[in-house]
Amino acid sequence: MSLVEAKNQDELAKYVSKALSLLDLKLDKSIKKVVIKPNLCYYWSAATGYTTDPRLVEAIIDVIRENYGQHLDIKIAEADASAMRTKHAFQMLGYTKLAERKEVELVNLSKDVIEERKVTVNGVKLSYQIPKLLLEADLFVNVPKLKVMREVAITCALKNLFGAIAYPRKVEYHPNLNEAIIGVCTILKPDLTIVDGLIALGRVPFRLNLIMASADPFSIDWIAAQIMGYNPSKIKFLRIAVKEELVDPKNIAAVGENISKFARAFPRNNYFTSKLLYNTQLGLLKIYNKVIADSVSRSMEEQ
Amino acid sequence: MLKIGVIGLGKMGMLHMINATRFRNVVIVAAADASKKRLHNAAVLGAKNLFSDFRELLELDLDAVIISLPNFLHRESIELALENGMNVFVEKPMARTTEECRSIVNAVEKSGRKLMVGHCMRFFDMVREMKGTLDNGNLGQLENVTLENIVSGPFSYGDIPQPVPEWWFDPEKVGGGALLDIGYHLIDLYRFFAGDCHLLSSHLKHKFNMPVEDTAIAVVQSDKSSSSGIIHVGWYQQMVLSRNDMRVILHGDYAYISSEQFEPSNVYAYAIKEGVKNVFRKIGGRRIRPLTFSQHLDAYEQELKHFFNCLEKDLEPSVTAIDGLRTLEVIEEAYRRDKRVIVGD
Repeated sequence: MSLVEAKNQDELAKYVSKALSLLDLKLDKSIKKVVIKPNLCYYWSAATGYTTDPRLVEAIIDVIRENYGQHLDIKIAEADASAMRTKHAFQMLGYTKLAERKEVELVNLSKDVIEERKVTVNGVKLSYQIPKLLLEADLFVNVPKLKVMREVAITCALKNLFGAIAYPRKVEYHPNLNEAIIGVCTILKPDLTIVDGLIALGRVPFRLNLIMASADPFSIDWIAAQIMGYNPSKIKFLRIAVKEELVDPKNIAAVGENISKFARAFPRNNYFTSKLLYNTQLGLLKIYNKVIADSVSRSMEEQ
Repeated sequence: MLKIGVIGLGKMGMLHMINATRFRNVVIVAAADASKKRLHNAAVLGAKNLFSDFRELLELDLDAVIISLPNFLHRESIELALENGMNVFVEKPMARTTEECRSIVNAVEKSGRKLMVGHCMRFFDMVREMKGTLDNGNLGQLENVTLENIVSGPFSYGDIPQPVPEWWFDPEKVGGGALLDIGYHLIDLYRFFAGDCHLLSSHLKHKFNMPVEDTAIAVVQSDKSSSSGIIHVGWYQQMVLSRNDMRVILHGDYAYISSEQFEPSNVYAYAIKEGVKNVFRKIGGRRIRPLTFSQHLDAYEQELKHFFNCLEKDLEPSVTAIDGLRTLEVIEEAYRRDKRVIVGD
């Protein structure tokens, strides 16, 4: 996998090309159908560190066209999430304008053709609605964001594939989120992952100016965890991936920029402390709400 | 005892219902919402008559209704309630347009009933203190008011993720963006401090590419004095644990005063302290005081208390349909200058 520093964000295509050129990619040159899956988990802009920067997706489109021809069928695809509706996210985050400008199609995977799939991971039985579009693409490009996440410590390449599940209410997977992330990654196999680490999210959003690329999403997450200050072998879903022999850490090698350069700059978030603080705060609020009942609990807002 | 119905059981409707349950002179007899789950919550809080259609609730014999429906249903529900002899407390904005507001003003006059709009910021502790300082003459002549409030708007993200209700994305149903949602409060606050005003200039922004504005900057001028107001509102606060990004500054020709002077230096520590006090109040069987500053919950209780007090004593509420109309006039002018299609035009 490769790491590239994108110092000038007006030249993202140049950095994407550089990140790809550092890889020993063996992609079929006769591709026709391209699907790009960004991370649009909510309506918050790329500057907050939550969602994929449309400028990076635009650069990827340019690079793909440059390498594989101008007349490709290129789609940008995302699925609805528990709180997010893709049609609004596309519009609010600038993807509708991007699609018009670059003449590509936007697809809501939750409204598209699906395949029901079942897998067992770490003894947990899981079933998914998998978008056929992602299974049938000639070139499936996964474009995650580099960020921390309270539930599973980090979210990058693998969690972005979890976001591609067509069923919107993915919060229902959260009791077994680690297994659910790995389960979907045994089905969805992107040809390429290009990480948006331009603005990364740690304790706070941070201009990291990083682009990572690899054909292997597991390797991406292994290195991403290190950049974000975690020992990847202690992250549960990566441990499960190793156990399920989906990744061999010994074979992971990074080329290009040095990992430590980005790791030093990254605003680390103490996973255990932040989770403990959040859960304590939430727990106390719930108890307070129950006893005092001076406000509306979230469960009361449910429809 | 006032017999009350609650229409619309989203966050605001449910908050009003919770507050109403604490008043000894009020009994909630009915609730209406399209969601069965929310109706169940209302039943737990004591509402015996439950309706999925608010029109059915409005056929009951009630003293008043609390309306917290989506904006596009305000006019219909208010006018139906007034026609059926009920007094009305309605969440802001009173309606989507000045045309709807004028129709409501006429309906109130015709019915002889009372209508109060939920301009809750007038009931914030700090706002009341600032108003007192201004009225005492401690600031000299009021020259400028700076008001700003940045929130997540409809796009807040909770610990139980919920999709944003679709009507927020429909410009016809919502009627406007951040200026109507939050600017409405601040324009009303300006009027509270400086009297009626008109729009001097405005700038509406569409960072999120929506048909309605997500950010607005407006400059208003008092109709009767040299005082002007600078208003800045936005829906662009994008974080899980939202911050109370609100301030009001009154600049007089002698002194100035900022709402931040009235806020505790550590809102969380203050909330914990007040929360503990409430627990002891509850144990001692005394009345609790809803938490202020973090969410200004006390203001919602105070405005409702004022409304019920006005009903009992036959007084005019401090915020009437005219206040709703005057506020909308400023907003609609900003929309017209932005060449926005006004609903109903």
